[in-house]
Amino acid sequence: MSFPKKPGGKALDVLQNLPRITLANLRPEPGARQTDKRRGRGQHGGNRSGRGHKGERQRGNRPRLGFEGGQTPFYLAIPKYGFNEGHSRRPQYHPLTLKRLQYLIDLGRVDPTQPIDLTQLVNARGVTIQPLKRDYGVQLVDEGADIFAAKINIEVQRATEGAIAAIERNGGVITTSFYDPISLDILIKPVPFFVRGQPIPKRMLPGEDMLPYYTSADNRGYLADPDKIQQARLALAQKYGYILPDISKDELYHMLAMRKDIRQIFFGLSPGWVVNMPEKKILKPTDEKLLKYYSS
Amino acid sequence: MAALFGSTVLRRAWLGPSSLCCRTPGAPVSAAGLRFVSNAVPEDNRSAIIESTEEYKYVERLIPPSRIPTPPKQTGPTPSGWIPPADSPPPLPYTIRRSRMHNIPIYTDVTNSNRKLTLIRKVEGDIWALEKDVRQYLQEVTGKELPTQVNEVTMTLKVKGHFDKELKDWLVSKGF
Repeated sequence: MSFPKKPGGKALDVLQNLPRITLANLRPEPGARQTDKRRGRGQHGGNRSGRGHKGERQRGNRPRLGFEGGQTPFYLAIPKYGFNEGHSRRPQYHPLTLKRLQYLIDLGRVDPTQPIDLTQLVNARGVTIQPLKRDYGVQLVDEGADIFAAKINIEVQRATEGAIAAIERNGGVITTSFYDPISLDILIKPVPFFVRGQPIPKRMLPGEDMLPYYTSADNRGYLADPDKIQQARLALAQKYGYILPDISKDELYHMLAMRKDIRQIFFGLSPGWVVNMPEKKILKPTDEKLLKYYSS
Repeated sequence: MAALFGSTVLRRAWLGPSSLCCRTPGAPVSAAGLRFVSNAVPEDNRSAIIESTEEYKYVERLIPPSRIPTPPKQTGPTPSGWIPPADSPPPLPYTIRRSRMHNIPIYTDVTNSNRKLTLIRKVEGDIWALEKDVRQYLQEVTGKELPTQVNEVTMTLKVKGHFDKELKDWLVSKGF
């Protein structure tokens, strides 16, 4: 059913039957315009003009904001503490709720039959990552864990325990992996990177402070032992009270078991390759030294 | 004397690099007291690079889509709470189109931290009938006569107060 739009609608019909509109015919609705209070013009705007009686108030000589008459003011009495110290050196992780992830899957913006990566999330315009603002990736938050019902293979940078439980309860796989800022920039915007014509760099390993997080099986780190991860999956299922579904008997097992190599940025593309987008070709090096460097 | 000699040596050293810059790259250096290897870049060894088109399908997966994908067909509400529009539009004198991202176009606004507004956009057809229905529905829900504003040029409806959840549920139940 299409409704032809009549520009102006009924107001235009009314207008065509009225006399010509001029400035003499127009008046604002009563009560629409309130006149401003003008000080110093008699009756209640006049006399002392709202300044009070004598003193600093009337004479406009009050001390600065925060001054407390000589008592040590609040903003000097409280000692300094480095709450925000080093804030520009702290890694930030954009939160992604399970509710939003479910919304993206339901609307077809994210494909659950392929491994979900940060590139897929950014292509679906589900999250916006700014690597220059110390963003190190995305963290999965368990708001919406009760409505989440999708079997996916997802890779994020951080995840809460509740989120891990919600994904595994539905038969999915979650991995947390580290991307250094340069790799993150390439991961988010692959097309401008391929246009540059540089070979895909290898992803750097996490630093000392993040290594324990990514080597522990409880966080499903990508550097952790697979056996320990399986044990952790069973332990989490017991803790949250659900039966861990067996993935190996699943038809999508091959897709769910897909994981990136430690030094790989994109699925299927190794470091050291150059992508030629206009000719749809990939150039691979054969030099020994290069191969040794990129596979180390 | 020694100072003059030193200054001429310095001046020649300064001029040396500038003349290098002016010359075409690849041309060997003559004087100026600087020594560098003037070999050109070694030729591209074509056989040292393998070209393949097999793995290009992985690159195609990474390219962001330029159009908003249409949601897959589903029966009833989804786990996230999104409800698709009805297949046939409801038999009403007005219709409310979905937004670009397939959502109901009802938005809330707050001005001066205390003035709440609900805005219904993308209305087509008889907007006054919609205004009457909205007023009647909100009268049943809240029990108050809420002021509304109709803009026939932009085909939008404003209602005082935040009623986005109620109005979204109401419109979805109508089938928009």
